Amino acid sequence: MNVKKIFLLTLTCFLGTGFLFSQESLDAKTIVNRSDEKLNGKTSIAEMKMTIVRPAWQREVLLKTWGVEDKLGLILITGPARDKGTAFLRREKEIWNWQPSIDRVIKLPPSMMMQSWMGSDFTNDDLVKQSSMVDDYSHELLGKEEVEGRACYKIEMIPHEDAAVVWGKILIWIDSEEYMQMKVEFYDEDDYLVNTMYGKNVKVLGGKTLPSVLEVIPAEEEGHKTIIEYLSLQFDKPMKDSFFSVQNMKRVR
Amino acid sequence: MKRWILLFLVYLNTPLLFSQEEVSKWEINGYLKQMQTFLFFNNSYFDLQQFKLVDTFLLDNLIHNRVNIKYYASENLTFKADIRTRFFYGDLVRQTPRFGAQIDNANNDYLDLSLVLLDGSSAVLHSMLDRLYVEYVSGEWEIRLGRQRINWGINTVWNPNDVFNAFAFTDFDYEERPGSDALRVRKYFGFASSLEIAVKAFDRVEEAVIAGLWKFNTGKYDYQILAGYVREDLALGAGWAGNLGNAGFKGEFTYFAPLKEENNNAFALTFALDYQFQNSLYLNAGYLFNSQGQPDANIVQLFNFELSARNLYPYRHAAFMAVTYPVSPLLNAGLTTIYSPGPSNALFLNPVVAYSLKTNWDIDLTGQLSFFQNDGYTSPLQALFLRTKWSF
Repeated sequence: MNVKKIFLLTLTCFLGTGFLFSQESLDAKTIVNRSDEKLNGKTSIAEMKMTIVRPAWQREVLLKTWGVEDKLGLILITGPARDKGTAFLRREKEIWNWQPSIDRVIKLPPSMMMQSWMGSDFTNDDLVKQSSMVDDYSHELLGKEEVEGRACYKIEMIPHEDAAVVWGKILIWIDSEEYMQMKVEFYDEDDYLVNTMYGKNVKVLGGKTLPSVLEVIPAEEEGHKTIIEYLSLQFDKPMKDSFFSVQNMKRVR
Repeated sequence: MKRWILLFLVYLNTPLLFSQEEVSKWEINGYLKQMQTFLFFNNSYFDLQQFKLVDTFLLDNLIHNRVNIKYYASENLTFKADIRTRFFYGDLVRQTPRFGAQIDNANNDYLDLSLVLLDGSSAVLHSMLDRLYVEYVSGEWEIRLGRQRINWGINTVWNPNDVFNAFAFTDFDYEERPGSDALRVRKYFGFASSLEIAVKAFDRVEEAVIAGLWKFNTGKYDYQILAGYVREDLALGAGWAGNLGNAGFKGEFTYFAPLKEENNNAFALTFALDYQFQNSLYLNAGYLFNSQGQPDANIVQLFNFELSARNLYPYRHAAFMAVTYPVSPLLNAGLTTIYSPGPSNALFLNPVVAYSLKTNWDIDLTGQLSFFQNDGYTSPLQALFLRTKWSF
């Protein structure tokens, strides 16, 4: 599996956590903002396991990630053996890749950061543009429904005319107590369901109550899904700017 | 004999050490590969009995084991030893006189860290340490002594800035590439800047490489400038890695000015653009100017050509295009094409298909096909490699 893609996915998921757990209730925008503050730490450190499931096979990748807002990021692949030690550094729009086997730092083209992630069922656009979830959509409360045994607000989100959004519509189920996104349905412009994302296994992670497992299931692909499991998560641990350096990318363990 | 013992003590003891010591102090990984090589010669194999070029087909096999060992002695001190052991058998071994000695000579630097363990007429077992160094890190300082890879190259196909390590262009199976016995002192500044000086061990000053490299980042570009003494030349070079729009833009060049009058000066320049499309198709295209190249070289030279930063390709001009596409998350396909304009219209094709059988198990099929103009447009040598790899 292409490790560059794993990087992209992780990057998007990382940025996406804010979006996933943003909230919406009586007044959509106020609550989304409040949840952003709750869930988007200034810094975050995570260990995660990603599993790509296909009808005939599945593959796991283990990752450690460090991030400061959406500006600085460092990702280390810790498993499987084949890709272990490979690391990625991101500073704003620049990305470097460290390949320990050939002792070389490779600068990656910006197009790699923008493209969608084909290997798994996550796509970039839905996750990266998290800030637009507040500003680029109009929100309507449709009612209350239960997801995974939790009472949720069901909200319909329609993008504004001029918004750079790939989706035609998003339906989102938000836990009414913890404001977690328990289920999200992504529709295309012709109102066909494309992906469904589930938040599962709610746990206290990094002092916050969050789904520890994210699952994306494409609507049209039988037996396909991608699972991300957070093994550990820490927020707001002070991190130096120098942590996000080429030197540290080679040494981080 | 002592080396032999050392090598195998390291080999045998690593799992033991691993289990006895605190796990985080040791890092051990590697792979086991099996590769079958099919070589098709069209009037290009030199037959020693007939004393002329003939058609022939050779089948060769290689079992290849690599163990990378890293020991974190303290916060500042790290030891590294990588052992590469290869078992060759087949036609090429049979038909190459002194195959074992050839392999042994090709891979050493200043220190002799290799051994021919078995030197048969049709099978050769060879083992070597191609990394063996101690590294001391304190803050922004990094000092590394021993056999190491000093990789100053930026581009993917040719590296005029890679003045320390010579490597065979077609030896794709040796991705780690040979090491240099050297001392390297580096200081980092900021997130992507550093200054380093490296000296390769030498007996005769003609073989010495002493060079410095300055790296810095500005305006979203990485730059580097190098200067030094490289085997009787003064070398001056520079490189960059940045972007044009959303495409990556990388390049590097080095000028070699001879210190002896009878030697030629040399200049090598390469640059490339790469881009990844929405559907994951990855495109990398570029160009090489190599002043030491010949317009009418025989492309078979590519396969027995000891390349250096001074002379990276048999031809003076070369354009390349590499395309890779993940057909599925498990199946990758790619094709690299290198074309050299000129009387011989040399063309080198390198198709690759790689499949992930299961976690840590990979299989790939690689072709190296060469064509050139010489009494008609012919393909003197075609090579096909089938490789299975298990990573641990």
